[in-house]
Amino acid sequence: MSVAILSAHGVTKKFGGLAAVADVTFDLHEGEILGLIGPNGSGKTTLVNVVTGTLPASAGEVRLGNRTLTGLPSHEIGRLGVSRTFQVVKPFRNLTVVENVMIGALFGAGGGMREVRAARRQAEDVLAFVALDHRREAPADALNVPERKRMELARALAMRPRVLLLDEVMAGLNPAEIDAAVELIKGIRQRGITLLVIEHVMKAIRNLSDRILVLFHGQKLTEGVPTDVLNDQRVVAAYLGRRYAEAARA
Amino acid sequence: MHARRWVVALVALGALAFVGAAPRLLSAFMVQFVINLFMLAILAESWNIIGGFTGYASFGNVAFFGLGAYTTGILMTKVALPLPVALAGATVVPMLFAAAIGLPILRLKGHYFAIATLGVAETVREVVYNVELTGAGTGLVMPIARTPALFFYLMLAILVAVTLVNGWLARSRFGYGLVAIREDEDAAAAMGIDTARYKTIAFAISGAFAGITGGVFAYWITFIDPDAVFRVIITIQMIIMAVFGGAGTVVGPLLGALVLASVSEVLSTQLVALAELFNGLIVILVVLFMPKGLLEVLKAGRGSFRVMTRNLREYRV
Repeated sequence: MSVAILSAHGVTKKFGGLAAVADVTFDLHEGEILGLIGPNGSGKTTLVNVVTGTLPASAGEVRLGNRTLTGLPSHEIGRLGVSRTFQVVKPFRNLTVVENVMIGALFGAGGGMREVRAARRQAEDVLAFVALDHRREAPADALNVPERKRMELARALAMRPRVLLLDEVMAGLNPAEIDAAVELIKGIRQRGITLLVIEHVMKAIRNLSDRILVLFHGQKLTEGVPTDVLNDQRVVAAYLGRRYAEAARA
Repeated sequence: MHARRWVVALVALGALAFVGAAPRLLSAFMVQFVINLFMLAILAESWNIIGGFTGYASFGNVAFFGLGAYTTGILMTKVALPLPVALAGATVVPMLFAAAIGLPILRLKGHYFAIATLGVAETVREVVYNVELTGAGTGLVMPIARTPALFFYLMLAILVAVTLVNGWLARSRFGYGLVAIREDEDAAAAMGIDTARYKTIAFAISGAFAGITGGVFAYWITFIDPDAVFRVIITIQMIIMAVFGGAGTVVGPLLGALVLASVSEVLSTQLVALAELFNGLIVILVVLFMPKGLLEVLKAGRGSFRVMTRNLREYRV
């Protein structure tokens, strides 16, 4: 359980003089769900961008097993089995839902499938898994917000990743939809995929995560099991302000 | 079902027979028109590979056409090589050139890419203007071939080939990779697509087809100079025809070339004043009523008017 499948050491990302991510070190253990939380602007998405090669790191190293990911272009990281979703979803608008997902199967881990027909079948399976198969021939543009989030997830899954980084797939969902999404993510873990989940919905993150990593101003504030982390005064202060945290304690 | 298959076979056979006899059946004027039409259709389809499928609107594809024309010209007049060899050169040289300039400039997007390609094409023209090998400003005179049928079949063969390539792109893994790049390049890269490599290959294929076409064109008109084969308007025509018919589709650029070449032929003989305005007018109408091309409107059949009014609303004009 405690084998690190993906590890980051001293990862730093600077934009000009501002360090959006500063010296962050963490391990993602094989088979776990690691929650990544922090107030707006704390560097969560930037960290994911650096891990997946969407942005180059300013310093530090990310490893997948014994391969160094830092410095690789993002398509190679995808081929090595690290998939992600985007916080602001990036659908291929002029394609149908099944075509969107099929492209994940055609490329993705190990370079993907050669055969378009086989990739389409795989895409249909994944769409059934995320309960979006009834919309598979719809143009991606016609989907509503929860459907778009599911399609984004399906595209990443169709890549057959070992590690999946989810950037706020629950934002904009109602409580019932969030419950469904939590079940779906647990189902993904059942398939043997290791997950890092960025989320603002605290109830969901508490239910899902084996461990939680907290970022604040680009730095790692703390890391641990959900009950400890969410009751940590520093975390409460980071989210709600120091005065509120002190008042709550008193 | 069986009967229908026979009808299709008969129609195909009839079409083939007609195409076989066409250079003899048609008037000399019509043959020239059809050769020109084939050429424009090839150029529209070749632009479609980079501009339509990949979404990189190149404003410099005439550079490949011109390089193909000059490669053929130089190989046939200065080295006295036979036409097939010259045309092979006219395919390979522009292809390599496209790959070489593609590597740096395909990093640019949108307007920046458009301007960079325009600049490359103008630069190539200026270089050709000032080099001894190309005959500089005076151009090259080619050996004369008195067989319009040759050009008819050469252009037709290239048109079939480029259409097949577009058809393959529309349903292949490689083609889906290009479309993904067009739709969202960051997402495409995250999904494991080597975007730099894919874009460069697409640009090179596009350049190869424009190049060989320029080669056939050079031999066809027998005299080339920089102004004849590096004119910006040739790029503009490729773009307008592809976009008018439907960029990123297989049939759209063919349709665009057919309609626009026909209309502009009629205008240039009947209404010369209007012919000058024609391209501009087409651009305005396309942008307003059918940004996805004529094909989308035609596919709607009876609902075509509704599609056009919806486009007008959706694009907030």
